[in-house]
Amino acid sequence: MSEDAFNNPGWAGNTGEFDLSEDQVRGDDFVGRRPAAGGHPSGAASYPYMLADKNPEAVLFEGDYKERFEKILTRYPNKQAALLPALALAQEVRGHVSPETMDRVAELLELAPAYVRGVTTFYTMYNKAPVGRYLVQVCTNISCNLCGADEVMEAFLRYTDTEPGETSEDGDFTVIEAECLAACGFPTCVQINSRYYENVTPAEVPRIIEHLRSAAAGGR
Amino acid sequence: MAYPYVSDREVRVLSKNFGDPAARRLDAYLERGGYQALKKAFGMGPDAVIDEVKASGLRGRGGAGFPAGVKWSFMPKQPTKPHYLLCNADESEPGTFKDRELMRWDPHQLLEGCLIAAYAIRAKQVYIYCRGEFFETTQILAKALEDAYAKGYVGKDIQGSGNDIDITVHLGGGAYICGEETGLMNSLEGRRGQPRVKPPFPAAVGAFGMPSTVNNVETLSAVPHIITHGGPWYRQWGTEKSPGTKLYCVSGHVNRPGNYELPLGFPLMELINDVCGGMRDGKALKAVIPGGSSVPLLNAEECAGCNLDYEGVQAAGSQLGCASVIVMDENTDIVKQVRRMVAFYAHESCGQCTPCREGTAWMTKILKRIEEGRGKEDDLQTLLDMSRQMTGTTICVLSDSAAAPVVSSIQKFKDEYLALIRRGERVGVA
Repeated sequence: MSEDAFNNPGWAGNTGEFDLSEDQVRGDDFVGRRPAAGGHPSGAASYPYMLADKNPEAVLFEGDYKERFEKILTRYPNKQAALLPALALAQEVRGHVSPETMDRVAELLELAPAYVRGVTTFYTMYNKAPVGRYLVQVCTNISCNLCGADEVMEAFLRYTDTEPGETSEDGDFTVIEAECLAACGFPTCVQINSRYYENVTPAEVPRIIEHLRSAAAGGR
Repeated sequence: MAYPYVSDREVRVLSKNFGDPAARRLDAYLERGGYQALKKAFGMGPDAVIDEVKASGLRGRGGAGFPAGVKWSFMPKQPTKPHYLLCNADESEPGTFKDRELMRWDPHQLLEGCLIAAYAIRAKQVYIYCRGEFFETTQILAKALEDAYAKGYVGKDIQGSGNDIDITVHLGGGAYICGEETGLMNSLEGRRGQPRVKPPFPAAVGAFGMPSTVNNVETLSAVPHIITHGGPWYRQWGTEKSPGTKLYCVSGHVNRPGNYELPLGFPLMELINDVCGGMRDGKALKAVIPGGSSVPLLNAEECAGCNLDYEGVQAAGSQLGCASVIVMDENTDIVKQVRRMVAFYAHESCGQCTPCREGTAWMTKILKRIEEGRGKEDDLQTLLDMSRQMTGTTICVLSDSAAAPVVSSIQKFKDEYLALIRRGERVGVA
């Protein structure tokens, strides 16, 4: 990172503003808090959150989530096309996509369970196993790598005391390497749950971890 | 908060609202003349819209550079089946970060472009396929879309014109290959994002088996401006064969990385030294990847005379791609960076074609071995042989893309490979 303060124009605020709330990051004055039912059907497939609180036993789908799922179905010529949005929605509710979840989604969309497994495992964003409250994805692809992404990755592993893909003992963190997150001008880019943290340097990692830890403690 | 990536050399057409949070509101967009191009297009008729875009010479901004108007003209003129417009917002090419900016700062510009394009190709449904990681971006886009629906700019009988066009924001599941247009269509249909054999081309058999057109976010964002001002106006920038402006995504070892909108044909060295404030810490330039990780890298000598348009970059020995300029300084470990890129392709290979599935993984192993000082001089020839077998032998170009940095780096930075290999041998003997 060069000496002059290099402002980040994105949702993550200025460089170092890592303690913004989710609402501030999302631009609450414009987007606002999204209803769980998904708002207008045109965007119903575009609001899957990766939430800190997960409920692996939740019913797929009921209440507002059922409403959102039904809105999604109206936007495609067949049920199969709703598979990716349905998996994302299931992950929002349950936190990961277990084989049982895949089977349930198959049932809902009238698809063969084996087909759904084949598709789910093709994509990296569906967590096939449970992850911590915070899934930390560090981009280590070329543009970030040139600017020290490997060191940022090491710092996250060191301060969470984990190996890549392993969940910390307190259940708060899972740290993995990610491929290019399309924020190459703001290296290193780190995606933590739904949010991008940009211009992250190894020195800033402890503060980010502390911030998330206290948020996690508040949520418990 | 001012947008920091500004240079007085810029021509801000698509990016004029970057840094202005007000611009994403529908009322502000309308005040600035928003959705007037759509109205004009509805008055022109679909074929005149296609002709205007053809006249502008707008080329696809997703990497291939195919003329957008020509692509649209492949769609049937008398629809017998539903047509689809697919906006490619998968933005997954390492080094590229322009579409996210276009969507989060000026979502209505993209929506208007989608509507005009859909009208021109006689599509009633648009899918904006966004990469799954773009949670924040897609929320802005979806909010803007919701507002546009509420005011009758999208949906049934748009502004009383009798035209029905729906737009849906769709999210991917995290797969680079879904940025390839036929992979995108498969993914949209709820399949694995594996590319399809062409022909049939999407204009004949596309998404859901129907005639479809796939355009990049930046291409579609340029369309309202072209319709408003006319094709010849767009040609005031750029070159004869590459007209217009382009968002250059500059990353890596420069003082001010970022998105800069400049005329096509802009000199590469001026982009680095002038627009981006020069090399970080005053270091010397070693290499540049001018178009995202899928194109051959250029050494400093080749960068010197290179102009950034489709033909200019080709003449210098690479491709413009999506103008994702990745800059590397003198201290860059080329072998490590090439290994990282190839490892990416190995991770993202869809697994359909043997040369790609096996080749990318094998190349990664060899490069890793060289990087760790356990390489052999024969390895370089093996890599070159494999590259040859991986080029032009597969359904899509992912395999070719993986080979490009390997071949170009061995040609241009062979001494770095050899130093690592020979040091390794000495270590082995001792």
